[in-house]
Amino acid sequence: MIPPMKWFSKSYVFEKFSKNPANMLVVTGVLGWVLSSAAQIFAIAINDKISPKEKMFLIPQEIADAVVNCVSFYTVTSGVKYIGKKLTNTAKLRTDAVSKLLKDRGLILEKGAERVKNKAYAGDWNFDITKLPDYESKIESVYKPFNNGAEVIASLVGSIISSNLITPIFRNHYAAKKQKELMSYNKKNTQQNLTPFQQKVSFADYQKLIYSRPKSGNLKV
Amino acid sequence: MVSVNFISPITNTCKAAYNKLPSIVVAKDSVINGVAHIGQKWTSPHQRAILGITAIVMQPFLDWHNKKVDEKTRKVSVARTCAKIIAGTLTGVALRYGFIKGIKAMSTPLAKVPKNASNFKQKMMTCLTPSEWDQKDMKALEQYQFAMGTMWSLVAMMFTNFLIDAPLTKFLTNKFIAIQHKMDQKGENKV
Repeated sequence: MIPPMKWFSKSYVFEKFSKNPANMLVVTGVLGWVLSSAAQIFAIAINDKISPKEKMFLIPQEIADAVVNCVSFYTVTSGVKYIGKKLTNTAKLRTDAVSKLLKDRGLILEKGAERVKNKAYAGDWNFDITKLPDYESKIESVYKPFNNGAEVIASLVGSIISSNLITPIFRNHYAAKKQKELMSYNKKNTQQNLTPFQQKVSFADYQKLIYSRPKSGNLKV
Repeated sequence: MVSVNFISPITNTCKAAYNKLPSIVVAKDSVINGVAHIGQKWTSPHQRAILGITAIVMQPFLDWHNKKVDEKTRKVSVARTCAKIIAGTLTGVALRYGFIKGIKAMSTPLAKVPKNASNFKQKMMTCLTPSEWDQKDMKALEQYQFAMGTMWSLVAMMFTNFLIDAPLTKFLTNKFIAIQHKMDQKGENKV
């Protein structure tokens, strides 16, 4: 485990991210979620308007929300990034210039040509362009810019799916459940001294309860 | 002991299916250059801006169609979501952009430091230049600057979450709710 202060050291950042921009987007994205969630939990912990009893309910709820956000962001973004990387690494998705280089090396299976047994061709699962003997000297400069771009685009697509689709759907489902719980909790605490009409929780009461919390949902950094 | 490997046939089928997929060869220079440009120049402020733009298109729509809550809650939810996205995107993009600019100023290559600059200024301009950098690969230095700027902006956002995002979100939410009330009175805001 790397100590948190080392994350900000020049050597560590240079070594980790100078060659792979897509990695940086995933790592800082997850870090953003973690920091944002830490801020939310801290805000609840120091909020005097929230009773200790409510804090016992809200803090675990925030932690659960944060874990789902982080896990969804990391897994989906990394997953889509992996697909992008696999497509370019195996040369399933390639540029014309890379195609020409591979063709010169006999690594492209032409239509109708017989496949040599145990040989990996461009576009095969087991093919890895970075493992070719002259990769660094002749291929990298042609391959790398397109590969980096494809990985960044894949990371962006992954983060859009997780942040703007999966997380809101889960959040809405969870919030609706919590709203019902909050209302029944409110009802239990007030119904003894109220008339039947007053036992119904008005929308204004619900809003008051929601606004007494530092947030209701995910606050992105 | 006999072990049965269930995973292997599945992975082999997946690999065979992958191999059967046709390859995609990108020949258009504009597309190749565009993708390469994104890989080299786009970084966290762009990512945050794109996430914000797509969020404002997708999230209010999801909230608006969340049938598990009543109509009034849905309307407030849409207002809060829009406010949070706008506040978060504005501060997120501005901070990331600002910190990257700052880190760039403090990690100048030695060759670009003016000779007549004071000792203090020279130290300030190079204090974050990584010693591992070979003084030639400008792309690697640029990626390092993007990453370092983004990481420090995240630390700053721990504070701006409370100082800027939260009050701005509250202000915008109230504004949007007021607009909704006006639309309700005119009968234009039916779910």
